[in-house]
Amino acid sequence: MHEMSDLLRVIHTLHWYALAFMGLVYVIRINWFVKRFKAGGERQAATGIPGRTTPKKGILYSWGNVAMPWSMESSRTRPFFYLQFVAFHLGVTAAILLLFIIPLGPGLLENEAVVLALRIPIGAAFLVGLGRMVRRFGDKYMRAISSPDDYFSLILLTVWFFFAFLAVPNSTANGEWHLIGYFLIATFFLAYVPFSKISHYLYYPFTRYYIGKSLGHRGVFPILRGPARG
Amino acid sequence: MKATQEKSEKAQKLIDRMGEKLNRQMAGSLLACVHCGMCTDSCHYVLANPGDPTYAPAYKADRIRKIFKRHFDWTGRVLPKWVGAATVNTDEDLEELKDIVFGKCTNCRRCTINCPMGVDYATFNRMARGLLVSVGVMPEGVAVVSKDQWETGNQMGVLKEDYLDTLDWMEEELQEELEDPTLKIPVDVPDCDVVYSINPREVKYDPRSIADAAKIFHAAGESWTMPSEGWDMTNFGLFSGDDDLGGSVAGRLFESVEELRGKKLVISECGHGYRSTRCEGPNWAKSDVPFEMESSVNTMLRYIKEGRIKVDKTRNPEPVTFHDSCNNARSCGLFEEPRELLNLVCMDFREMYPNRAENYCCTGGGGAMSMSEYTPQRLKSGITKANQLKETAADFVVTSCHNCVDGLADVIRHYEVGMKVTQLVNLVANALVIEKKVAVPVETPVAPEVVEEVPVPVGVGAEGEELPLAGRRILVADDEPDQLDFISAVLEDNGAEIIRATTGDEVLELARKEKPDVLTLDLHMPGRDVGEVFDLIRKDPELGDLKICIITGKPELRRLIYERSVRPPEGYVDKPVDEKRLLVNVKKVLEVVHQDA
Repeated sequence: MHEMSDLLRVIHTLHWYALAFMGLVYVIRINWFVKRFKAGGERQAATGIPGRTTPKKGILYSWGNVAMPWSMESSRTRPFFYLQFVAFHLGVTAAILLLFIIPLGPGLLENEAVVLALRIPIGAAFLVGLGRMVRRFGDKYMRAISSPDDYFSLILLTVWFFFAFLAVPNSTANGEWHLIGYFLIATFFLAYVPFSKISHYLYYPFTRYYIGKSLGHRGVFPILRGPARG
Repeated sequence: MKATQEKSEKAQKLIDRMGEKLNRQMAGSLLACVHCGMCTDSCHYVLANPGDPTYAPAYKADRIRKIFKRHFDWTGRVLPKWVGAATVNTDEDLEELKDIVFGKCTNCRRCTINCPMGVDYATFNRMARGLLVSVGVMPEGVAVVSKDQWETGNQMGVLKEDYLDTLDWMEEELQEELEDPTLKIPVDVPDCDVVYSINPREVKYDPRSIADAAKIFHAAGESWTMPSEGWDMTNFGLFSGDDDLGGSVAGRLFESVEELRGKKLVISECGHGYRSTRCEGPNWAKSDVPFEMESSVNTMLRYIKEGRIKVDKTRNPEPVTFHDSCNNARSCGLFEEPRELLNLVCMDFREMYPNRAENYCCTGGGGAMSMSEYTPQRLKSGITKANQLKETAADFVVTSCHNCVDGLADVIRHYEVGMKVTQLVNLVANALVIEKKVAVPVETPVAPEVVEEVPVPVGVGAEGEELPLAGRRILVADDEPDQLDFISAVLEDNGAEIIRATTGDEVLELARKEKPDVLTLDLHMPGRDVGEVFDLIRKDPELGDLKICIITGKPELRRLIYERSVRPPEGYVDKPVDEKRLLVNVKKVLEVVHQDA
């Protein structure tokens, strides 16, 4: 544990405001999304093999799809890419947790296992971030579909991982710059997220809910694959 | 482009109507894309065009998404360039959008099931099509087919008399084939258990499939009928994105079933027909349907399982594979039943990979067959399907979709796959075991001797019987020597006198000189344009009696003929041609009597 400087204390406070701002914008966004756009319904009787699929099963399958790399050809045929996805998002989770641990439970970071449990995913996410930058800047297909926000969000997250990795032990033995960097970026990040693609997780439950409900009703979700190539 | 720039009337209408069309599912899909690129390789257009990112689903989707962001999402209003938001201002912008949403996507939904975020691109691509159609921007073929379906109630403009005439013709064929003069294709019979609806393509180009279905209903002892009005189960509204057309067409079909007080609507094998009638129809028509609906695939399977028909799979010994229609498999969950049925009626069924919901589009989906301006890129995109087919080494590819029949036939021809396309109804009818009628002498004093009637194949005849085409003179026009020989041989064997032509100029010359009864005309021949030749023949008063049967392997060329202001041809046969179909069609063509003749 360390004594915070005034600057760090200010940034800490700012980061809470930023978090509140993000929450407020999200409430507004969800309200807009739900009120502005009506949900389309389906009148027809269910199709598909009776009992095999239902809207409920479709929704659960659709939500769970993120944890079932075999469910989509696009992830099944790219296991390494899927692992990168997992590492990246575990890194995000760890880095966010750290935002709460440092101000609310810094004692936890005296435990080396906790430090390691945070540093490994954050470090891996940083490496994946670098790899994704190479892909987004270098791949013709990725460049064609990328907006400035796509590049900026990726760079922002990767740099944040770098600072988060250094910030994990919450040590100021070599100065505060890494903690300042980590909290400063997080503060900016929290305010920026609602305006960027990073807020995709806000819509994810909705898109997957509706596609799951529809394709569950229509006998498609859960996807039934035939016998493997003989 | 600045949103403030003055917009064309069409562009402004498109934006206004987008606001009305968007629902939560579409808005979610437009908001949630993270540009991860996972969908890229799932698209057959991408696989066939390596190095061209403009075919990537996310790229294509962004052409629509940018408009959404610019006008409906405040991040795009505040920071348009930052988030890739932009608007459409001119009619040229709309034309560009048209070429993407109609020409670079078949709405097959394969990218949808491969998107980690659940973005349903096919759904909002259809919405974009509908918006463009609403302001009059669409491929010519879409305009023509939509107009036909609005005006005539079916998407191929089949007249009621032609439809009923075809049913009569098929009824006669079946009576002859099964030697049962009581066999009927019932029309407008009320209170039946089954009302059977078909694709107008069956009337126009594939009447044998109607006869095959009738044979199966007859064998099953089904109480069934076909409606004389509102019989088209296809729905171009699915392809054009026009929900009003979709609702109107589906509504007409539903009304015809209700008027006949039918208990169940059976939909013949057609992917988009099944989806638009069974799944989307009630939503577009905004009405709940008070009767059951099922695909004829389910009906045939049920008949076998219930023992209502018997089949002999040894009659279909050739290796067959199955192509899942995108609409059936990815939008309606119809993929196990056709396999079950195939295993019951075929000796050697083998899967193609990938299959079921992961199968690749035939390339003819989304109305692509009617958009001839995009044919080159459609055929190019067929390489993935061609490779899938080749890998199976099957003789036949079976599909439960008429669009797929045409799409696959094109791919097979273009990539020389050496495979034939057929449907389940044809295989089931072929495998059908029908008990022969037993003729029992009446009022005989002795014990009756059972005599089994033996069917007499058409054209072979008993000794001394006249061949069906005897005395007829037929001009066979085709530039492919094999086809020319085959068609000539079939017709000659049935008694016709054959005259051969291999170019458009020769056709014209020989038609005028020889005055044949029938001309079988290939649409793709060297020399004078065949559409022009057709036109000149029709306008030549001396050739007024000449009946014409189009024989083509390029369905997209139909418009060369059917969009002309002259009388349409009397018959149409798709390549590859088989003997039975050719003969049936030529005989039918000869029977046509024109009111003005």
